[in-house]
Amino acid sequence: MSAVRTPREVLLNRVAVVAVFVALFIMLAPIYWIASTSFKPRNLATTVPPTILFEPTVAPYVKTFVKRSQLRGPVEEEVYEAAPWWEQLVLDGGEKVVRSPSGEVKPSGYGQRFMNSLIVAVVSTIFAVSMGTLTAYGFSRFKVAGKDDWLFFILSTRMLPPVVVAIPMFLMYRVVGLNDTHLGLIILYTAFNLSFSVWIMKGFIDEIPREYEEAALVDGYTRMQAFFKIVLPEAMTGIAATAVFCFITAWNEYAFALIMTNRNAQTAPPFIPSQIGSGLPDWTVIAASTVLFLIPVAIFTFLLRNHLLRGMSFGAIRK
Amino acid sequence: MTDSVMTRLDPNSRAAARGWSDLTIRNLFIIPTIAFLIIFNIFPLLYSLGYSFTDFRASTNAPAKFIGLQNYRELLNDEFIWRNFTITAKYVIVSVAGQVIVGFGLAMLLNRDIPMKGLITTLLLLPMMLSMAVVGLFWKLLYDPSFGIINYALGLGKFEWLADPDMALYAIAITDIWMWSPFVMLLSLAGLSAVPKHLYEAAEIDRAGPFYTFFRITLPLVLPILMIAIIFRTMEAFKTFDLAYIMASQPTTELISIRLYKMAFLEWQTGKSSAFAYIVLVMVVAITNIYVKYLNKVKER
Amino acid sequence: MNAKIKGVAAGVALTAMSASAAMAEDLVIFWAEWDPANFLQELVNEYEAETGISVTVETTPWSDFQTKAFTEFNARGSAYDMIVGDSQWLGAASEGGHYVDLTDFFAEHNVGEIMAPATVKYYAEYPGNSGKFWAIPAEGDAVGWSYRKDWFEDPDEMAAFKDKYGYDLAAPTTWAELRDIAEFFHRPDEDRYGVAIYTDNSYDALVMGVENAIFSYGGELGDFETYQVDGILNSAENVAALEAYKELYSFTPPGWAKTFFVENNQAITEGLAAMSMNYFAFFPALLNPATNPHAENTGFFANPAGPTGAQHAALGGQGISIVSYSDNIDESYKFLEWFIQEDVQKRWAELGGYTAHAATLESEEFRNATPYNEAFYQTMFKVKDFWAVPEFAELLTAANQRLYPFIVGDEGTAQETLDALAADWNETFQRYGRQ
Repeated sequence: MSAVRTPREVLLNRVAVVAVFVALFIMLAPIYWIASTSFKPRNLATTVPPTILFEPTVAPYVKTFVKRSQLRGPVEEEVYEAAPWWEQLVLDGGEKVVRSPSGEVKPSGYGQRFMNSLIVAVVSTIFAVSMGTLTAYGFSRFKVAGKDDWLFFILSTRMLPPVVVAIPMFLMYRVVGLNDTHLGLIILYTAFNLSFSVWIMKGFIDEIPREYEEAALVDGYTRMQAFFKIVLPEAMTGIAATAVFCFITAWNEYAFALIMTNRNAQTAPPFIPSQIGSGLPDWTVIAASTVLFLIPVAIFTFLLRNHLLRGMSFGAIRK
Repeated sequence: MTDSVMTRLDPNSRAAARGWSDLTIRNLFIIPTIAFLIIFNIFPLLYSLGYSFTDFRASTNAPAKFIGLQNYRELLNDEFIWRNFTITAKYVIVSVAGQVIVGFGLAMLLNRDIPMKGLITTLLLLPMMLSMAVVGLFWKLLYDPSFGIINYALGLGKFEWLADPDMALYAIAITDIWMWSPFVMLLSLAGLSAVPKHLYEAAEIDRAGPFYTFFRITLPLVLPILMIAIIFRTMEAFKTFDLAYIMASQPTTELISIRLYKMAFLEWQTGKSSAFAYIVLVMVVAITNIYVKYLNKVKER
Repeated sequence: MNAKIKGVAAGVALTAMSASAAMAEDLVIFWAEWDPANFLQELVNEYEAETGISVTVETTPWSDFQTKAFTEFNARGSAYDMIVGDSQWLGAASEGGHYVDLTDFFAEHNVGEIMAPATVKYYAEYPGNSGKFWAIPAEGDAVGWSYRKDWFEDPDEMAAFKDKYGYDLAAPTTWAELRDIAEFFHRPDEDRYGVAIYTDNSYDALVMGVENAIFSYGGELGDFETYQVDGILNSAENVAALEAYKELYSFTPPGWAKTFFVENNQAITEGLAAMSMNYFAFFPALLNPATNPHAENTGFFANPAGPTGAQHAALGGQGISIVSYSDNIDESYKFLEWFIQEDVQKRWAELGGYTAHAATLESEEFRNATPYNEAFYQTMFKVKDFWAVPEFAELLTAANQRLYPFIVGDEGTAQETLDALAADWNETFQRYGRQ
């Protein structure tokens, strides 16, 4: 904006500020509501008008990790007194904690799913971003016969609904025994993030002046050295932005995880809805698992936020 | 742009002689990706192309019987499937248009002097970090006429968002817009910040109106990046499965992916669903092809 | 064949990746996410205490249950040793070779005598009357109804009802009464509604809801022996039944368009509806004051009779089968031997499971254990079920596609809907060479 501002400019800017905060409120209201639900007792989750002030409880966070069973009536006094505080929270909700004969608490399975999500999302993101960066560099710097067609081919692999790919993949995986394995999911997620990664990274690498590398080559670097020491550091911003998007997609993917995995490799997204409860809806537990599941991706995005904004601007705009 | 480093470097120079040749590096960088995508995308598709001409069912041990084009013929004559296509088209248009309007609008606002801009932008990205399945579940509750807060907040009484066959698809699209506008916003913001300031100053000196400035300066310069956002959002909206599957089960919200899922993994009509997948594939490739052609034209301007 | 080489390569990688996850427990049973599955987990803990072999009950939401089970079957996966599968899967799972044939086990342990007749017929045998058995009846279930006793027993309401309809307000014994009561309590301006019914068409909820009407109206879905549906599915009784179900939909709370057991129980706990259809297995949550504020005032009744006096209900519940691809088939047999013992079945019932064990079911102790066990006991002799043929999923999809628009979307007439559905089913049966 120009240095001197007209009164009209100032007014417009004020309107914009107000509008931005209104928009922010609307966009964040559902998320605030999910987060607040995750600290509510079950019966307050569905009140209308919504309960704003309430005594927060961590019961939903306890429940999300343990296997529970519906009680038909109140539990005996002495059993209740003997239970640890977190188990009392579950008993208060009319459910009991399922234990193995030796007294160990049976886990709900959420913890294991969460770990699966971490493994699959992190590994597939690393694969997709590193392969995508190399390929983008290849397309950006070298002559490739039918370059546009190849790029379109790469893009086209992302167009298919997961269900379309899932049918043949399922049959193929059945032959090689990859159904319900971490590796199977990692391959799938890498494959569909790769196109995105190539496209964004190519736009980005196109913007890095090739004079940098040429100077390095003249200085006695090999092409590989030039790539790793000159191009990669310059491309770091783009890599970070691409990684954020790939991670978000892989982290939250639902359809493949639903179809291709069962109990060994299932990730959290298909599992969280099953926490709704068996006889009655328990929104608080779903909210708690959702909040926990949002944390890693939010932290990741927050750490890379500066790259994200700059990265996107480099990516697609030609000078 | 067109002449690569390879052609400019003297092939006999010391620089070119050191290490691997450019050709080797190019192949090393590109071929694994292409091969990977061929193995895990093209090969499975060829695999299922064969099945699309059979009555194969993956749920039984019975061998597949070749039935020629019967699957395709049945599908193209199926009234329900045409409805799935129209519904999907409507959904894609509404939700992508909504995301572009909201997302681009937000970007225009944020492009001004806004306090705490970085923080606000990051916070605005939160919706797209959630899982679609979870978003669907919670929005179903938000829309609920008895327990939801949307009707309460808007004073709509017992308005039936998801139970009304005509409204349900739009209700799902609204959720999608809420979730993915930030994506469009982020890309537009990047495009806007790259518009050189001197162009605006020149326009101001020429006393150009705000509309002229927007349509002649801002929009053309942001368009390439906006197009990329639109391509990716269109592809994603076309593929929508989890959101609609969880939120409503109206016949009017049965998107292609949902129908395909039911045919393939509930009814286990593997052969027929492979044929269906091919019909979808041809359509998506055609649509995206048109988009990309247009994008390239925009970029050249 | 390079698939083999790839198989070996993938196999090596796979072993490396999944070795950590492998076999923390000895036996795994797969079921849907609901209370009985948690009760079963408690029961099998006692098996672990006795034998040292741990058993885990793994669950998934009802809406994905069929998909997940069959995906695992069709992948020839060994993740699950046993599965508590829906009755309509018997055809597909037995013909597909996914279930271990339990006919000899039945003969050896006299299972056909120990378990209640309806449960053997519907949960275990396929094809009908063939004498081949694929599952041990595990969880008996059928549709029943819960209602708000305090609303029904309010003197003002009782007087007003008598004035309007000419008979006393009480838990309905016929569908006509059910309809009247639903209409009577349907007061949108007071935020009170008549009735909660199943409408979710993602799996079999809506169809089972409609079945309750059809069976009690004296109708059938078709001839299970000859696969004839014309004149049976679209009979006058069924048309009347479908119209009755659709009329009930107009007395449901707002937004009642994708509802199953969770929503229907919620209709009672949140004080939305006077009556609510649900499987008996979901009633425990309604008994506990911690989960149902109206627990004291919630009553239960069996699915009412139709105009001809016929009284039936849609069957729920499942049998437990051994998965053919399991690595622990022998262990699974041993578990089933333990499971069918009388004292185990008694314990199963105590924990909240719906035993199919005839002697336990008939005991006074069981019938008085909860306010709804008596209704359950009676209903279990009047249950009917959906097709169990391998192509049942296609029949189900067609039913959902035809019934839903009529009931929820108000499209067409009941006669047109059932005629169209009969045509769809004929086409499917012809395709599989059944007619």
